[in-house]
Amino acid sequence: MSSCSVCSGCVSSKTCASADKPLEAFIRELPLETSHHRVDSQSTKCGFGLQGVCCRLCANGPCRITPKSPRGICGADADTIVARNFLRAVACGSGCYIHVVENTALNLKNTALAKGNIRSEEALNRLAEVLGITGTDKYDLAVKVADAVLADLYKPDYVQMELIEKLAYSPRLKAWKELGIVPGGSKSEVFAGVVKCSTNLNSDPMDMLVHCLKLGISTGVYGLMLTNLLNDILLGEPEIRFAPVGLNVIDPDYINVMITGHQHSMFTYIQDRLTDPDVVEKAKAAGAKGFKLVGCTCVGQDLQLRGAHYTEIFPGHAGNNYTSEAILATGAIDGVLSEFNCTLPGIEPICDALMIKQICIDDVAKKKNAELIPFNFETRVEDGEKIIDELIAAYKERRGKVELRLLPEHGNKNTLTGVSEISLKKFLGDSWKPLIDLIVSGKIKGVAGVVGCSSVAYGHDTLTVALTKELIKRDIIVLSAGCSSGGIENCGLMVPEAAELAGPGLKEVCKSLGIPPVLNFGPCLAIGRLEMVATELAKEIGIDIPQLPLVLSAAQWLEEQALADGAFGLTLGLPLHLGVPPFITGSPLVTKVLTEDMKNITGGQVIVDADAVSAADKLEAIIEEKRRGLNI
Amino acid sequence: MRRIFIDPSKCDGCKSCSLACMQAHRETPGTIYDLDLTDPKNQSRNFIKSDGKGGYIPLFCRHCDDPGCANACMSGALTKDLSDGLVKYDRSKCAACYMCVMNCKFGIPQPDTTLHYMVKCDFCEGISDTPSCVKACPTGAIYVKEV
Amino acid sequence: MTKYVIIGAGAAGVMAADRLRVMDEGGEITVISVDEHVHSRCMLHKYLGHERTVEEINFVPEDFFEKRDIRWVKGEKITAIRPQEKQVDLECGAFLPYDKLLIATGAGYFIPPIPGFREGKNVYGFRDFSDAKALDEAVKGKKKVFIVGSGLVGLDAASALCHQGYEVTIAEMAGRVMPLQTDDYAASVYQRAFEEAGCTFYLGIGVTGSKLDEEGNLTHVVLSDGSEIPCDVVMVAAGVRPQIGFLEGSGIAVGRGVEVNEYLQTSDPDIYAAGDVTGLSGVWPDAFDQGKTAAMNMAGVPVAYEKPYPFKNTSNFFGISMLSLGKLDPIPEGAQVETVMDRGTYKKAILVDGKLQGLLIQGDISNTGIYLELIKNQVDVGALGKSVFDLSYADFYHMNPRTGAFSYTEE
Repeated sequence: MSSCSVCSGCVSSKTCASADKPLEAFIRELPLETSHHRVDSQSTKCGFGLQGVCCRLCANGPCRITPKSPRGICGADADTIVARNFLRAVACGSGCYIHVVENTALNLKNTALAKGNIRSEEALNRLAEVLGITGTDKYDLAVKVADAVLADLYKPDYVQMELIEKLAYSPRLKAWKELGIVPGGSKSEVFAGVVKCSTNLNSDPMDMLVHCLKLGISTGVYGLMLTNLLNDILLGEPEIRFAPVGLNVIDPDYINVMITGHQHSMFTYIQDRLTDPDVVEKAKAAGAKGFKLVGCTCVGQDLQLRGAHYTEIFPGHAGNNYTSEAILATGAIDGVLSEFNCTLPGIEPICDALMIKQICIDDVAKKKNAELIPFNFETRVEDGEKIIDELIAAYKERRGKVELRLLPEHGNKNTLTGVSEISLKKFLGDSWKPLIDLIVSGKIKGVAGVVGCSSVAYGHDTLTVALTKELIKRDIIVLSAGCSSGGIENCGLMVPEAAELAGPGLKEVCKSLGIPPVLNFGPCLAIGRLEMVATELAKEIGIDIPQLPLVLSAAQWLEEQALADGAFGLTLGLPLHLGVPPFITGSPLVTKVLTEDMKNITGGQVIVDADAVSAADKLEAIIEEKRRGLNI
Repeated sequence: MRRIFIDPSKCDGCKSCSLACMQAHRETPGTIYDLDLTDPKNQSRNFIKSDGKGGYIPLFCRHCDDPGCANACMSGALTKDLSDGLVKYDRSKCAACYMCVMNCKFGIPQPDTTLHYMVKCDFCEGISDTPSCVKACPTGAIYVKEV
Repeated sequence: MTKYVIIGAGAAGVMAADRLRVMDEGGEITVISVDEHVHSRCMLHKYLGHERTVEEINFVPEDFFEKRDIRWVKGEKITAIRPQEKQVDLECGAFLPYDKLLIATGAGYFIPPIPGFREGKNVYGFRDFSDAKALDEAVKGKKKVFIVGSGLVGLDAASALCHQGYEVTIAEMAGRVMPLQTDDYAASVYQRAFEEAGCTFYLGIGVTGSKLDEEGNLTHVVLSDGSEIPCDVVMVAAGVRPQIGFLEGSGIAVGRGVEVNEYLQTSDPDIYAAGDVTGLSGVWPDAFDQGKTAAMNMAGVPVAYEKPYPFKNTSNFFGISMLSLGKLDPIPEGAQVETVMDRGTYKKAILVDGKLQGLLIQGDISNTGIYLELIKNQVDVGALGKSVFDLSYADFYHMNPRTGAFSYTEE
């Protein structure tokens, strides 16, 4: 790559397809290597790995399953190997989200103890009321709420978490109790999961799959739902509005900092500080107009979602995980502040080549080339000054030396954002009835949550966007959360004009309300918000969640967290579409349990389909079946 | 006439060739994801053997000029086709006597696991223009050459 | 234009005709056979078991002779060969001149001189299609079939008959079934499988006599222990003899079979012999190979016949396959015997000075083709430092960089 970055007349290279055609063209012409370039050289996939039947849990391995070797050396068969690998992935994914909620609760607590800025008392009171917590003032209340969350997270696995009783929808909670899958302390459940799938421990695929369900609930209720609610208290609630998305949000006149990760609360201090007059003056002294945080990955979606409170520092969301390399390649980014995934290792050589300063504020996501300045509430002021100085230094050092490759026409300026379970209800006139009426009338046939990640191995956002188009064409309204949102928004499906792509019923609804057919709930954490919307709708109608004409698709699921999210979706009793199987098809048992038997366990089911049209057909059929079940 | 050539120094033992072979010859259509890796019917016709020194030796049917398997075939199921040089197999004729297994000095033919016929490389005739194993090899350890 | 005459349409005769056509495009090739149908004698049990028709046990395509412009005179017996006149006499009275003649008449079953057996009307052999057809007709409507001999032929017939519900009793002089191809363990596995299918065995017992009814049919077989076993039909699988009766008076040298030199040439330089009639080997691939080699020599391309390694066989009964090479007993003095049970597959190797003398694999015989090469060429496998059962061709790997062919030694 070093030789590549100095060449001037580069021929376009072989990159993967993207649903975002301008981005695809941009990446193809880059003199830098990105993930999109590496897809081709990694196109030969190991079939054993794909099916989840490569086991390297011990020194006897790796063992692979074939007709002539149907068991590993230890005796584990395909079912055991697949279940172990799957549980390991779900446990890791759950651990990630539990890390996020733990930090968020700690940040809320520390902020409250320091009597810092609590941006939404309304959100605090709402959550405290649900949890049955009272306090002497907002700080005391916030501390108690945070402590209650932390107390649950730290329980042993044999002690059931408490808040779940208040947060979960009662018919679901009842079902979970009957199945014996209400989790103990979140961290302990991850621990138990990791222990179970270690060498020569658990070999019972069913026991391990049940554990996945426990982790799913823990992930969903705590990692997802509560993280949103705690962030709302600390950072302000989402407000529906239109905002720019895409590479056009990058203004080279500013010191631009690309943010990646999932922990918005870690940026609270610095994002406020960057707009303080003295800091702006510092930036000006260096030749810039000030600072901008350029949104990338889920934490960028978090800022976009709450963008109404941050218009000065946050210009908009530039792109998802597999757009991050392109964002950096514009040359107008001076620093990367990262705290979690999805911070691709692939940005490191690009940052090197383009002299971009990498700073990591959470050691769990320490990047090789990044300077680690771990976020510490006590030392946030000194650390913040240090970070600001480093960013200014990087700006001064690199600007003028690095070529700019801006793409000001990329994306759009009027993507609807700020949708949450609260803001959407408010938008509908403080009632869910209008939405229910539209569903009953059939103008909106059903609801699909198109969530999760973006991947590139089979095309960047290609399936996500194609599936979304297919669903809205069928009058199915799409709610999105995660990196899928980044792709969908940059492809223009979240602007009001996208109503034209919807079926006649949905189109009419969108036009009359002035909204797009895809509503963006923000980061993957907001899958928790989708659950809350589902609960509200079910409650309003008086049914359980699996009865709703609601489907989920993590069409381009990428990582272990997505599998933990998916496990949550299954516990909710929802159909979950995946574009590629989660490395399970080597086990007939695990495949059958997840794709068929689950319907009789939680009501959920996994549907694997790499084709947008046939996947949409299947999801539509399920929605129609659910409608029939409700006699609508 | 085309032959699969082998460069053992390039083989990583990934068995992509074996899986490609299994996938190419499976009875029911499907993707690599739903290829049943434990179904004995899906046995591979090629083999990757460890050389005991950290390397691998891919063993593939040579479609020999003087094929031991066809020479031993007492049912007429295995025949050498002089037009394309391939040793062809007609399952409907096979009596499952396994003289072919005994008589291939390179140990390539195998009984099928139900012991009703034998399995051996067919150069993916009627399945793929280039043998599936060759297409799947990520390192170029196997390749097709005109001889 | 050379006139080639081949007597016999078995493996050796047909293979020779095929190769002759390749070698001599314009030659006149005639095949004369008693058989009305070209058939694989190793598949006769498939016919007897009603799994296949006679057409379906043909080992060459239906249009084999037509396509190669070979004249096939079927259902015709040769009564004499007259080397001086270079003619063969046919039973119908005609004669046929030849320039090069191949004797590939194979072998016929042999009925031992047990009282009543040679004259008994219900005593059959099982060697070629006419035998199978006769036996098939004889057992119709009957129940009890007595088989003498538990070699491959006896067991092939036994499996075909017991599948159809006949009560099959098998007598074997040796103490175990398939004595030439098994050891006690492997034999017991097969014996159990046959017994579960309804067969009864008398092992280590000779057949010494019989009881005949008035019509000349055996009603009982008498064993050496005096017991009398009732039977409806008797089948004898007690060995074969080369079919050389018609050579009497021809002057062609015969011993156990037709005597041949390394070019498969008989004592008459224009007459060759191949297949079971030579007594060199009784195994299909060797007959094939001999037919091919004889044809090359007849066409004027001298090719020495590589001495066969006749102690080899495979079998496949009741879902149990077996490979058997060399001599399994008696075990030579000082031999090293390795026996393993590898996930349901029984393996036994007998080595002397690191060289294989006998090998038995019963169960999964996949990829075991290397052992014939190793035993035939007496390769020193002891020097390789691993168990003989862990060997594969990878241990001997050589590929010709130009042709892609494998070989055991660098070319």
